Amino acid sequence: MAKATQGENWGWDFETAAMPFVDSLYNTAYRMTRNAEDAEDLVQETYLKAYKYYDKFQEGTNFKAWLFKILKNTFINSYRKRQLEPLKSDFAEIEDAFESQVSDEVLDKVKDPEQELLKDVLDEDVQQALEQLPDDYRMAVILADLEGFSYKEISDILDVPLGTVMSRLYRGRKMLEAEMLRYARDHGYLRSGRPSKMRSRPRR
Amino acid sequence: MHETMNCRKVKETVFLYTDNEMDGEVLISFREHVSLCPKCERYIRRMEVFLTHVRRCHRASAPDRLRRRILTSLPHRQA
Repeated sequence: MAKATQGENWGWDFETAAMPFVDSLYNTAYRMTRNAEDAEDLVQETYLKAYKYYDKFQEGTNFKAWLFKILKNTFINSYRKRQLEPLKSDFAEIEDAFESQVSDEVLDKVKDPEQELLKDVLDEDVQQALEQLPDDYRMAVILADLEGFSYKEISDILDVPLGTVMSRLYRGRKMLEAEMLRYARDHGYLRSGRPSKMRSRPRR
Repeated sequence: MHETMNCRKVKETVFLYTDNEMDGEVLISFREHVSLCPKCERYIRRMEVFLTHVRRCHRASAPDRLRRRILTSLPHRQA
């Protein structure tokens, strides 16, 4: 990305470089703040800060990651205090969510259990499950799975070591999977103490 | 020499594999273990399906009013 030194084209260069990321930034902001009004304010603030510090951006490094870093810092400073109570989940329980919830019958008969189980999980269920994650885990999962950042980039954006990125992703995804499987169970696929429900599913 | 791959390590490092963040000898021994262990193979497949579900989840687009608001607030446009 070409970057002019402070001059008459400065602002226009910034605009050209930064505006293509508005959807990505807004999507992440929306998922972090959980409401449209805060998300818009957060993105607006991110752009103003990015503009202000544009001369600090090191050319040749990842501009999108730089914008996300500003978004993350702004979120932590201004919005984090409003966060909902984090999902009360015990990690040890989460670990075995799948194994404990899925009946052996399903595992034995279904060629592709996760596919079969998750096909009834709606998109809004995924989003709702994502919203339940504690901030740190949610941010890591969003950056990796919705924005496609590498571990190194996530480590830079979040200012945490690679090992922390790995553990947040691991735990965040495991919590997310457990939530999604809970929705699948609610839809009647998984063992819920009522095995008859399983048998009543139409066979294809 | 790295630790021998086993089912526990496969579970612990599965996302490094699915995220293409694994390389070198670890990747070689990971692949070797999985090719010989149907249980781990199934586990990886499960995780891939799960991740596909997450990754195709709907993205919110920035409203037009936000774009306008950002652009009009940038100092160079106010000059």
